[in-house]
Amino acid sequence: MSSSSSSGLTFKLHPLVIVNISDHYTRVKSQMNPPVSSTATTSSSSTTTNNSNGSGDGGVTAVSAAAPPPRVYGCVIGVQRGRIVEIFNSFELLYDPVTHSLDRAFLEKKQELYKKVFPHFYILGWYSTGSDAEEFDMHIHKALMDINESPVYVLLNPLINPAQKDLPVTIYESELHVIDGIPQLIFVRSSYTIETVEAERISVDHVAHLKPSDGGSAATQLAAHLTSIHSAIKMLNSRIRVLHHYLVAMQKGEIPCENSLLRQVSSLLRRLPAIESEKFQDDFLMEYNDTLLITYLAMFTNCSSTMNELVDKFNTAYDRHSRRGGRTAFI
Amino acid sequence: MDIEQKQAELIDHFVKKASALKGTILDPVIIEATSHPSLFAFSEILAVPSVVELGGTENSGYLDVLRLFAHGTWTDYKNNAGCLPELIPDQVLKLKQLTVLTLAETNKVLPYDQLMQELDVTNVRELEDFLINECMYAGIVRGKLDQLRRCFEVQFAAGRDLRPGQLGNMLQTLSNWLATSENLLVSIQEKIKWADTMSELDKKHRKDVEDRVEDVKKSLSLKLHTVSRPTLTSEGTRRSTLSLVE
Repeated sequence: MSSSSSSGLTFKLHPLVIVNISDHYTRVKSQMNPPVSSTATTSSSSTTTNNSNGSGDGGVTAVSAAAPPPRVYGCVIGVQRGRIVEIFNSFELLYDPVTHSLDRAFLEKKQELYKKVFPHFYILGWYSTGSDAEEFDMHIHKALMDINESPVYVLLNPLINPAQKDLPVTIYESELHVIDGIPQLIFVRSSYTIETVEAERISVDHVAHLKPSDGGSAATQLAAHLTSIHSAIKMLNSRIRVLHHYLVAMQKGEIPCENSLLRQVSSLLRRLPAIESEKFQDDFLMEYNDTLLITYLAMFTNCSSTMNELVDKFNTAYDRHSRRGGRTAFI
Repeated sequence: MDIEQKQAELIDHFVKKASALKGTILDPVIIEATSHPSLFAFSEILAVPSVVELGGTENSGYLDVLRLFAHGTWTDYKNNAGCLPELIPDQVLKLKQLTVLTLAETNKVLPYDQLMQELDVTNVRELEDFLINECMYAGIVRGKLDQLRRCFEVQFAAGRDLRPGQLGNMLQTLSNWLATSENLLVSIQEKIKWADTMSELDKKHRKDVEDRVEDVKKSLSLKLHTVSRPTLTSEGTRRSTLSLVE
C-alpha cells in the first residue's frame, strides 16, 4: 500500500505531536486493562473523556485479556507555507467503530475551539497508531479530504523495538495512482524532519534525563553527572582542536591571515587560565572542607545512632540472664 | 565578539579609503582612523600597500603612529614623543584604551597603582571613571572593580592586533589547553569507572550479608523448637549484630 512519495512537500514534525499521540495511546491502553479484569462499569468513566474506540470496546468485550492493542485516532493541526508543512499540535477524536468513521460534529467543534486559541493553525490531517497503514484508513482519509485537499496521515507504531534507531513515526500522503486501470488513492510514505521550539527542546531533554533517578543509588547519579560533564568537555575539546589546526595552518601560511579572527582568538585565550587565582583556591578549598565536614558529621551521627541501638539490644538480651545470676548488663 | 562585528564595517571603509589614496594625503586618513571611537584594530590598514609605502618616505611619522596604535602603549608614546607627531586628544584617549587592553593581556588582576602609572592618572576617581566610561561602556573590556583591594579584575578583554611573534605563543597556549582537557577527559572516565566499581562492590557486599542472615535464620529456626531461652538470646544477638554490620 505504501511506497516512497514524490509530492515534493517537506514535513516538519514537532515533538509535541509525538508525545500527544503516545500519551493518548497509553491512556487508552491503561484504561482498557483494568476493565478487562473487573466489571464493565469502569468503561463508562473512560468514555466520558476524549477517547476513541479502544476503551468503549474493551470494557464490553471484557474477557479477552490479550485484546489487540487499541487504535487511537485524532487530528493533527499546523501551518502550511508553500511547500513546507509544519505540524505543531494534535488533538483526539472519537472514532465510531460501527460506521468506521470519525465523529464529525466533535471534530468541527474542536476545530472551532482551537481556531480561537491558535488562529493560524489549520487541520492538516489525522493520526493513528498501528504498525502499518490499513484499508480502513483510506475511508477516514477521504472523509478528511473535504477539510483539507491533501491531508496527512501520521502513524505511530506503539510497539517498542529496541533495535530500531529512529522514531516509529511515519507520515503518509495520499496520491492518485493508476492501478489496474483504475485511478486509486494510495498511501505513500514521506520523509519528515523534527523541528523544535525552545520550550519543547527543554521538556524533551528533561524527560530524557529522568531515567537515572529511577536507579536511585548515589553511584548511578554520580556516574550520570560525570558522563554529561565528559561529553561537554569532549565537545569543547574538539572545537579547540579545530581552532588549533586553523592557527597552525595560518602560521604555515596555507591560509591567508585573517586578523579579525586572530584578535578574537587572542582575546579568548586571555581568559585562560581561569582557575588559578589565589582567591579561587581559597574559596574552593573552603567549600570543599565544608562539604567534607558535613559528610563526616552525618556519618558520625549515623554511627552513633547505630551504636546506641546495638547497646540497647545487648542490654535487652543480657538483661534476662542477670536475674539468674549470669552475665551482667553490657553497660 | 560583537566588537569585531562593529569594527568590521569601519575597517572595510578605512581600507578602501587608504587604498584609494597615496602619500601625504593618507595622513588625515590615518589620523581619522586612530581617533575613531569604535575602531581598535589597525592591522588591516597597516597591510594596505599604499600605507606600507609611507614607511620609506619622510612622512614615516604617521606610519609609526599607526604602528604604535596597533601594538604599542601610552608609555611607548611618551618615550618616543620626540620622533612622533603630536596626537590630538581623541587619539590620546584611544591610545590609553589600547594600553588597558595590553595590560589585560598579561595579568587578569590589574592593581590600581600600575594602571595609574601606565595611564598617567593621579587619582583613583579619575581612573575608575576612565575605566568605566571609556573602557567598559565601549565594550572592549569586561570586569569587576575592587576598590577595597584596589584592583581591577578583568574577565574579558578584546583582542589587539597581533605582533608577528605572538601567533607562536597562542599556538602554545592552545596546545596546552588541549592537553589539559584531554587529561581531564581521561580522569573523568576513570572516576566513572570507579563509581561503577564501587557500587558493584557495595551491592555484592549487601547481598553477601543478606545471604548470611538468611542462612543463620534457617539454621537457628531448626533449633528453635528444641532449645528455648539461650537460643533466643544468641539468635537475637546474632541477628542484631548482623543487621548492624550492614
